[in-house]
Amino acid sequence: MKKSTSVSLLVFFLLIPATLFLGTKLPGRSYYITSTLIILQMLLPFFLAFEGRKPQARELVVIAVMCGISIVSRVAIPIPHFKPTFAMIMLSGIAFGPEAGFMVGAVTAFGSNFFVGQGAYTPWQMMAYGAGGLLSGFLSQKGWLSRKPIYLAIFGFLSVLLWVGPLLDLCSLFLMPIGFSKKAIIAVFASGLPANLMQAGCTAAVMLLVSRPLLERLDRIKLKYGMLENHDKL
Amino acid sequence: MKDTFSSYHPAVNFLFFVGAVGCGVVFLHPAYLAVSILCGLSYYLFLGKTKSAKAFLLMLPVVLILAAVNPLFNTQGSTVLFWLFGKPYTLEALLYGGAVSGVLLTMLLWFGCYNYVLTGDKFTSLFGNWIPSVSLLLVMVLRMVPNLIQKTKQIAGARKSLGKGNEGKLKEGLAVVGALVSWALEGGVVTADSMRARGYGTAKRQSFLIYRMERRDWWLLAVEIILITAVIVSACLGQVNAEYTPEVSLAPVSWGAVFYGIYLLIPLALNGKEAILWHILRFKI
Amino acid sequence: MAHIKIQNLIFSYPTSMDKKALDDVCISIEQGEYVVLCGKSGSGKTTLLRQLKTVLAPHGKKSGEIFFSGVPLEQVSQLEQSAKIGYVMQNPDDQIVTDKVWHELAFGLESLGCDQKVMRARVAEMACYFGIADWFHKDVSTLSGGQKQLLNLASIMAMQPEVLILDEPTSQLDPIAASDFLNTVRKINTELGTTVIITEHRLEDIFPYADRAIIMDGGKVIANDSPRSIGRLLYLENNDMFTAMPTPVQVFYGTKSSGDCPLTVREGRRWLSRSFPEAPAINQIPCAPASDKQQDIALSLKELWFRYEKDSPDILRCVNAEVPKGSLYAIVGSNGVGKSTTLKAICGICRPYRGKVKIFGKAIEKYKPSELFGGCLAMLPQDPKSLFVKKTVREDLEEMTREESRIAEVAAICEIEHLLNSHPYDLSGGEQQRCALAKVLLTDPKLLLLDEPTKGIDSFFKEKLSKILCKLKDRGVTVVMVSHDVEFCAKYADLVSMFFDGQILTTDTPRRFFGGNSFYTTAACRMSKHLFRKAVTAEDVIGLYLQNKEVQE
Repeated sequence: MKKSTSVSLLVFFLLIPATLFLGTKLPGRSYYITSTLIILQMLLPFFLAFEGRKPQARELVVIAVMCGISIVSRVAIPIPHFKPTFAMIMLSGIAFGPEAGFMVGAVTAFGSNFFVGQGAYTPWQMMAYGAGGLLSGFLSQKGWLSRKPIYLAIFGFLSVLLWVGPLLDLCSLFLMPIGFSKKAIIAVFASGLPANLMQAGCTAAVMLLVSRPLLERLDRIKLKYGMLENHDKL
Repeated sequence: MKDTFSSYHPAVNFLFFVGAVGCGVVFLHPAYLAVSILCGLSYYLFLGKTKSAKAFLLMLPVVLILAAVNPLFNTQGSTVLFWLFGKPYTLEALLYGGAVSGVLLTMLLWFGCYNYVLTGDKFTSLFGNWIPSVSLLLVMVLRMVPNLIQKTKQIAGARKSLGKGNEGKLKEGLAVVGALVSWALEGGVVTADSMRARGYGTAKRQSFLIYRMERRDWWLLAVEIILITAVIVSACLGQVNAEYTPEVSLAPVSWGAVFYGIYLLIPLALNGKEAILWHILRFKI
Repeated sequence: MAHIKIQNLIFSYPTSMDKKALDDVCISIEQGEYVVLCGKSGSGKTTLLRQLKTVLAPHGKKSGEIFFSGVPLEQVSQLEQSAKIGYVMQNPDDQIVTDKVWHELAFGLESLGCDQKVMRARVAEMACYFGIADWFHKDVSTLSGGQKQLLNLASIMAMQPEVLILDEPTSQLDPIAASDFLNTVRKINTELGTTVIITEHRLEDIFPYADRAIIMDGGKVIANDSPRSIGRLLYLENNDMFTAMPTPVQVFYGTKSSGDCPLTVREGRRWLSRSFPEAPAINQIPCAPASDKQQDIALSLKELWFRYEKDSPDILRCVNAEVPKGSLYAIVGSNGVGKSTTLKAICGICRPYRGKVKIFGKAIEKYKPSELFGGCLAMLPQDPKSLFVKKTVREDLEEMTREESRIAEVAAICEIEHLLNSHPYDLSGGEQQRCALAKVLLTDPKLLLLDEPTKGIDSFFKEKLSKILCKLKDRGVTVVMVSHDVEFCAKYADLVSMFFDGQILTTDTPRRFFGGNSFYTTAACRMSKHLFRKAVTAEDVIGLYLQNKEVQE
């Protein structure tokens, strides 16, 4: 068994349950810490797998460029909740595989917070952004996601609305001081809905308009330099 | 003004913030909250001056509103202030809301300080030898962002001077993004070559540690660990216990709060010490 | 034993197997030699240099051998190659990997897995040797192009290589930064004994110091001799490369002289003095008097003031200029004085807070954008890459117009018909430049602005560019160009302006302008100033020389 796989198993079956168990034992509002720890532990296997693979220079550069562009599109575009960031992350996943997609997402979240400010939300954003890249990469690798712009637009819309957006809202739920009553949960997700809708709309628009040329560009790079081919598997 | 605490080793900085944020998030006792908010706010203002003050004024209403909203979700509590939509709005829930909003405020303040102290290069040098590839990736990303912003400006300018960009902002913006992707990726090939030409991947990577643990760093680290242990012990002894609903009951303030205060004052104290030192030095000359 | 020995190297790329990119190359380079490799772009220089480092060698069919200190290169481990063979590339920006100067300096050592003590010592050593200590803690994004390239060189020297390979390292730098950089390279060669192999367009700064020049053409080595004798060979063969030689060399052979060829301006002056022991009879090129004829003005700038922020210093401080219709107007001056900003102000990317820009007599604000950029004004930016948005050159041109005939016409002017189906990023710098120019020309501008059009392109492409500009002038297009390239401006411009400190100081014809300057002028002028007046190009000097010789006889 690969080292990274055993680490993942260890994390999922031992570390996270142990943290959860300890978390329930601790008094008061320690779920703040528990939840953040769990998120960090979930990120860990991905990073370790990336380390274990000893990425090639070209692979590292491509991921860095995609992160850079996603960050610029998050930091530099002044309209709130209307940024092509998620689309860029998802396209990276589609072009370079789920693992690269996850790395682009997670590092985009972390890296962009050096410009807009780190916070307790950082690990949550890393998880949510990464999950977006992971999902698109996974579906595309399995052949379940067509590369036609219209399908990508639908996928982008739904995955932001139902997957990335709610994951981000989950963070507000944990960080906002309003507890976990049914009402509070509904309130958090409902208040996140407009932003998620806008973000989903933006993602869909980007996918519809430029996914084809952008994927062509990414494929060209892949082909020209034969990168990432042997590593596409998660 | 130069911040003395920032000149210490990143590990010392990092541990301090882990302690400050970790405790700040859990402790609901008003005394502890007050200590954390006061220390956090003064350090934040010290670091960012007017910029911090403006940011703090933006945080304040958010926190107050959240405190006031809390009783709407939480109807426990014995002292009913008034009825709203057929639900009681209680004093205890309001106080609890105030406390958890205070927690949010401590978090915002200490993370505000964190952003000044632990810059990107400090963070990566901290983890450079543990996760070399990820931290190298992060370094490359931090290098690329200003470069990409500059390229974006160049592309936008070049297109403007051809009369492009009048046909709709979204379409033009996406054309710029497309050009940027190509430019950056094709340039990235040179970057990759330059990495390989300098031996990337030929040996086990060793990070160059520009920050060294010196004696003062070890000392401060020891002080931090002792203080934070004391605070955790006091917490385990129940000194931070605070119940708000249904009845308010607080543990009496004890020595734990003092240790907590000393811990959180470390950065400001170091700056104070430095200021006095320089003052004396100047008079000696 | 030779340090590097290349034996019968033949190489072809997988995409064009029938054409040999390197054809039977045999070169032997001694320890500590300074070798300059010249040739047109596409002659195989870069391909050859890349073969000298296994990780950079392109895929393809290869035969022949390369020995490094007597050992076949494939048998030298990657680790050893990384440390011992340093390679500096063209683009200063793209080579930098990390965000801090100190980190970049240490990057190679980190990769080689050196321990902290060694790294610390070497990094400190390099920072001192290269004068980097002052900006050691800075972000790389705050450095100038010259500093960036110096950093690239330093970070390679930190690994203490035995061979330093430089592939057109100064093509993206301004002249002052470029000669600084080349001086540092020479210093490394003379003080450390590092073997240097360099390809370069700026031969004036290299030839006097190089031990050997190797000329390549079509993948073959056509000449391999000392710089002093190589000019003769090229002249006799009437090779294209001759135009790339330093001015003194061109003048020397252009006048059919014999003996030791001068390489520097100093040697050129001495040689001219020796040729004319008495003052020459004809010492001036007839200079047409300034015409009083009232010309139509294409562009006029009246007291432009500009700064980026309210509190930042002024970049443009009262810029005045008048550009006659149908002329090639060049603005010269050093880096960062506001030349490019002036162009941006003309086409409205920057808005001056005071002053007026009039284009064909009409204030720029009175134009509608579609009117201004559709058939009136267009700018070619400094980096042609900023104009490419599509996946072939043709599609990029089609973004501007749908008319096939227009595209064909412009492609013919710019000589890019054979490139239309290529990806813009597969082209060389000079080809990209012409494709970008074609895209700009499709707006059918009557006033064309060029920002450093000769940056990074070799002498052949420069000549091509000059021909294109002539064709445009014949069609009545007015060209305003900003450039560092004194020689190019002297040869082709109609009017030259000096830009300094946010202002245009003097404007004159190139002959008067450069003929009157002593420092900021062409090599030909500096070399002949004591004998001839206002001879600013190699052709001028050759002409006067021959005329005088005739008179003497």
